[in-house]
Amino acid sequence: MDRECVSLLPRVCEVLAASGSSLPDDTSLEKLLDWFTEVTKAGTSLLESCPCLLEFISSVVHNTTLDPSILSFTLRLSGLVAVTEDAFTVLQQSSVLDLVFNLQHWQEAGLWEDPCIRIGWIQGLRTMMQHPKALGFFVQADFLKPLLQLQTDKSLFVASAANQMLAHVLLSCQSVSSVESNGVDEEGEDVGRSSGSIADLEYPAITVETNQDYAAVVTAISECLKKSLVPRKNSQLHQSLQILKLLALLLAQTRAPLWEKLLQMVADSVYELLAAGYSQLVLPLMDVILAAHSDLVHTAQSARVLLLPLDIITGLNLLTTTADEQQFSMVEQLKNKTSCISMICVCLTNTPQITLTAADCLPCPPVLIVTAVLSLLRLCSGDFSSSSSSSSSCRDVSRNIIGSSKVQKCALEALIALSGSPGVEVKLPEVVTLLVQYLDNPHSDPTVLHKSYQALVRWMSVCSDLSSITDQHRQDLLQVATKRSCDIRWEVRDSTVEFLGRLAGVSVVQTTAEEVSDASVALLGGCCFTTPLLRAALQDPESYVRASAISALAQTLAASWQQGAALTQEHTEIVNQLLEVLSRDTEGFARRAVVRYFIAWLSSRSSHSSPPPLASSSLLMPSVRSVLSRGSADLDWEVKVHTLELAELLLHEAFSGQRGYMKGNPTQTHPYAVIPDTLHTRTHNEEDVVGELNSLVQWGVVSALLSGLVDCDRPVALRACRLLMTLREVVCPLSLGALDATAAMAMVAKVTCELPGCGWAREIRKMLATKAKDAERGCSVGEVVDCDDCGEAGQEAASGGGQTPCVSVCEVLRSLDLDERLDVLTRSSDHVHNSPFSLLQDILTASSAHSQPDTQQEVIVDCY
Amino acid sequence: MPEINVTPLGAGQDVGRSCILVSIGGKNIMLDCGMHMGYNDDRRFPDFSYITQNGRLTDFLDCVIISHFHLDHCGALPYMSEMVGYDGPIYMTHPTKAICPILLEDFRKITVDKKGETNFFTSQMIKDCMKKVVPLNLHQTVQVDDELEIKAYYAGHVLGAAMVHIKVGSESVVYTVSRNKHAATAWIDKCRPDILISESTYATTIRDSKRCRERDFLKKVHESIERGGKVLIPVFALGRAQELCILLETFWERMNLKAPIYFSTGLTEKANHYYKLFITWTNQKIRKTFVQRNMFEFKHIKAFDRSYADNPGPMLIGKFKRQCSVIMPGYCVQGTIGHKILNGQRKLEMEGRATLDVKLQVEYMSFSAHADAKGIMQLIRMAEPRNMLLVHGEAVKMEFLKGKIEQEFNCYMPANGETATITTNPSVPVDISLSLLKREMALGGSLPDPKKPRTMHGTLIMKENSLKLVSSEQALKELGLNEHQLRFTCRVQLQDPHSDPDTLHRIYTHLKSVLKGYTIQHLPDGTVMVESIVIKVSSSAEDSNAKVLLLSWSYQDEDLGSFLSTLLKKGLPSGLC
Repeated sequence: MDRECVSLLPRVCEVLAASGSSLPDDTSLEKLLDWFTEVTKAGTSLLESCPCLLEFISSVVHNTTLDPSILSFTLRLSGLVAVTEDAFTVLQQSSVLDLVFNLQHWQEAGLWEDPCIRIGWIQGLRTMMQHPKALGFFVQADFLKPLLQLQTDKSLFVASAANQMLAHVLLSCQSVSSVESNGVDEEGEDVGRSSGSIADLEYPAITVETNQDYAAVVTAISECLKKSLVPRKNSQLHQSLQILKLLALLLAQTRAPLWEKLLQMVADSVYELLAAGYSQLVLPLMDVILAAHSDLVHTAQSARVLLLPLDIITGLNLLTTTADEQQFSMVEQLKNKTSCISMICVCLTNTPQITLTAADCLPCPPVLIVTAVLSLLRLCSGDFSSSSSSSSSCRDVSRNIIGSSKVQKCALEALIALSGSPGVEVKLPEVVTLLVQYLDNPHSDPTVLHKSYQALVRWMSVCSDLSSITDQHRQDLLQVATKRSCDIRWEVRDSTVEFLGRLAGVSVVQTTAEEVSDASVALLGGCCFTTPLLRAALQDPESYVRASAISALAQTLAASWQQGAALTQEHTEIVNQLLEVLSRDTEGFARRAVVRYFIAWLSSRSSHSSPPPLASSSLLMPSVRSVLSRGSADLDWEVKVHTLELAELLLHEAFSGQRGYMKGNPTQTHPYAVIPDTLHTRTHNEEDVVGELNSLVQWGVVSALLSGLVDCDRPVALRACRLLMTLREVVCPLSLGALDATAAMAMVAKVTCELPGCGWAREIRKMLATKAKDAERGCSVGEVVDCDDCGEAGQEAASGGGQTPCVSVCEVLRSLDLDERLDVLTRSSDHVHNSPFSLLQDILTASSAHSQPDTQQEVIVDCY
Repeated sequence: MPEINVTPLGAGQDVGRSCILVSIGGKNIMLDCGMHMGYNDDRRFPDFSYITQNGRLTDFLDCVIISHFHLDHCGALPYMSEMVGYDGPIYMTHPTKAICPILLEDFRKITVDKKGETNFFTSQMIKDCMKKVVPLNLHQTVQVDDELEIKAYYAGHVLGAAMVHIKVGSESVVYTVSRNKHAATAWIDKCRPDILISESTYATTIRDSKRCRERDFLKKVHESIERGGKVLIPVFALGRAQELCILLETFWERMNLKAPIYFSTGLTEKANHYYKLFITWTNQKIRKTFVQRNMFEFKHIKAFDRSYADNPGPMLIGKFKRQCSVIMPGYCVQGTIGHKILNGQRKLEMEGRATLDVKLQVEYMSFSAHADAKGIMQLIRMAEPRNMLLVHGEAVKMEFLKGKIEQEFNCYMPANGETATITTNPSVPVDISLSLLKREMALGGSLPDPKKPRTMHGTLIMKENSLKLVSSEQALKELGLNEHQLRFTCRVQLQDPHSDPDTLHRIYTHLKSVLKGYTIQHLPDGTVMVESIVIKVSSSAEDSNAKVLLLSWSYQDEDLGSFLSTLLKKGLPSGLC
């Protein structure tokens, strides 16, 4: 724990224990508790390092006139302090603990009414319950009863915390009992692990008596579950809801034998609830059923329950046998439009999960489920022609979902998830036809269109064999994509453009000669169709669409880049257009996309094996150069970060294999890490390094890195700093020492870059000048620093305001104190003012301002 | 009884972040989805696990409505829709939809600057979230589904801020941000909602104090400039920045001041662009001025470059000496330099253990664009709600306003996590058939009068989402049903030493004497009929004196039937012939 903080803490405690009103900033106490939690987690005992806390707790607990927020804080703090057994004993011996968690004490003071006291009580107990002593304390004080009451508290937060706490108690008791009864360590550990927070704790010295106590707790909780699950009156619905939530929580976390015991206990009540059909309880009930379906019998059962609505609405026989009464009650529920939509949505959301289970649990093959979902989607758009439901009641039910975009979205989502199920490929033509219809439908909601596009891409990527796609399909899709790319709503245009890009990224096999192409080529005829559409989208009034169009262009052209295809007139035009966007577009999104475009192009060039055709390179490199200069002068921080990524690519291209070059973060590599041999394949050749460094300077990589370093956006500066360090390691490693370096790399040292007199360069010059002054001072004291050049370079740079001076890249790299800078930049930008020390200071200042209200203007917390 | 439940997940008796759950007529609506600026972890977002533990919010929520673009009202939206999982509709006005992503992007940037922050949304997520937004026009009724409709009204406050009227059947709720000084022009129908949910940030302040504050502000700026000092105003709320710009611009014009005013952020510049674009969404005063020139095209206010800071001479923004001042136009959270300066700290610790003395004058002037007590009362008079519910304000100040409102209305102020339940008394409109009305009139009823409710008898038909009250005959005809006759039968044992026909005759005579004014017939088929009641006689096989009387009557004559059976059980008087 920080010594400075420890020294402030007693005064803070004093202030808190004495203040009658809450702190002006209600996050302060929360953050204070965060800090204590952190300290505890680090293994420090709070009581040992801050003895004042004990005094604070005991004085606050006796002073019920304090602000409830401070009392609540103290309750939680007490739990945190007592998290270790030793501290627990100390608290208990000083009789603080009994009073802190004494319900009556708070009730008599009239404070129990305040929800923050109740929540403090629960959370304090919850934090403390990490060792058997605390568990024993809980059992002996008989806290279970009030806890069960709090479960239906009028405050949602209290009720939820009580639920969590009950689950925690049950899991703790379960593991304690199992340790005792089985006497097998393994088992105990196993169960302990499932409950997470108590994983590492051991439970020594459990007597038979206490074990019985725990068993009693388990029984009491499960009895309560069973008893309160089914509401006897309407007013008890809330209670049932809470119990269902607890049950879902428990079933998800407990294991055998408790899991089975619980399920046995509540099964009847759950079925009773199901039959009663309370619409408010449908969703939580479904959660319980899903949580319960981890064994085979229940899986099959819940699969049937979940598929039933789909079976009824579509009239497809998904379930071969269904009990009539079950069918009847479901139909009745589905007749109500609201409950119909919510039921069918729950069913659709869980359908894909069902298909993942073992085939023998499935009531029907996945392909039939896909058919049902397709049929449902048709019903949604009012197409009853394919519906095979005969009875009129089923028809009534089907009418409920016409035009419901909620159901449409759920169904499309299900269709996406089902695409991977075995044997569903045969449905591809039907899926494509339906999705194209959806895309064409003028009534489709933009979000539905978005999902339709997603579904189409997904099915394309899963079904690599497109032989079943007809020319009609292609034609329809072409038409609809053209239409949608001019939609009046930007959301639709954006989804369309995104779709065109994604499709290009999906590779498929066409029937003829097993030729591999991308889905865009297979479905839309590739570039000749999409490129003009995307180029038109570059002029879109909405910047999101422009950005998507640029990314989509990159995806579309990726194939031709990889194949090293010759440059076309069109491509040249696009590049010019993009450079225009980078310098003219008022929105960051589009400019970010342009830089990413060039990153994609450059990296595809470096990835393919054969040397790039001259033509392509002749366009790429000059463009990259202007992207670097424009991008690093951009106002948007992400454009700048992307520009540095581009610079990193060039750096990598130039020096990969060179001694000292490490891709990525140099500080992350361990000093003794083994460097793979492949990095040494290229022999160390000074001429190579000089050549590469020269070209890096020419392309503007070095300028981009330097300007990034002094950028006021922290992520930009951080990235630039790391890259400059990488560069330094290659061209003039510090490890060589100044003398060796100059001797060995005299040529490299002569490579210079320009530092113009404005903006970032001025900042760099200032830094160099400061460094030079420091160095001079160092010399005068008599230290041996052979750094004449460096001094000159710095002075020269600092004084040369008029013309553009050149400085040695190596000198700059060595003089910039990059390591120190990195240290600062890796920290959070608010690390000084958001530290625990700063927090303690703020509490003290606020309280002193509060005690002398005349001297200070009132600070109204108007909003955050 | 049907009820409306309102549960704040945020903004219940505090000013942290707004997120209010309303369930009305079986629909669940989330009002605002804000972010708390005081935290750097998940606590900045509302805890949606209170709604559902499985993360599928779409199953539960019918829609989300955002009142305006401030982050404490919309900041958690991408988190909710893209990270937790909400796929349903999100509603906000056009200007809010345009400006919201700018603020979200800006906040994302700040978050990236703060290391160790995880679980934050990306640019793509912001876009995907915005694509789910359905833009609203003012005064346009939007049908969320068959039952739920919403309508937005101008609310003042900031550009695009809206009051929303939410209606399910005959139940309704109005939600509004508190409104700024321009909101006098804001107007809402006399919609008489069941609840009016209103912010109450400045519950205790009164309108005029705002004018004073503005005057004070300009005075302080002017004084500093006169002294040759510079003034820094770190404005961090969009809308407030625009308001201050207009204030300064007008003042400069009037006083013919020359000191330059600089605006340093691209963010506000971008927002100014939208203010210009959506000029029709601003108040009348601004719109009127727009005829002469666009109020958001400033003459004195210029974009700022870092190098200007060193320029000598007065200006608004720059490098600071003693005669300079900083005016904080709003609150700053703990963990920031702003907070320390507000608290009156004169020494600030900087990076690398350096310290900085605060030499300039620090002024705090709350310019938050929220309404005061007077504005809220005005709104109440306009909408005439049945109940009031206050959110987004400090508990103590809320109590004050609550006390004031409670003189006229029920007023609630639930804390976060607590549910305010309001029982409603929904009136269900029903059509009445003309023939039924005519019949009522013929029976001497008066003409229908909405002020005098009365009971009517008829058959209620629910058909195609409408309710109709008709006569039973008409109901039968319309529904194509046959009328069913319901008859009760009962046996009465009787000792009567006569033949069966004689016993029947004796009964006939007896009834004739007892029941005056009823139609009693002795029919040739061996029955006696009193109205619809049929009486038959038979004797038992063993004892011919023991007679069994069979009575049968239709349900309309239930009273008479039971009277007769009781009467006959007593036996026949001996004097009958």
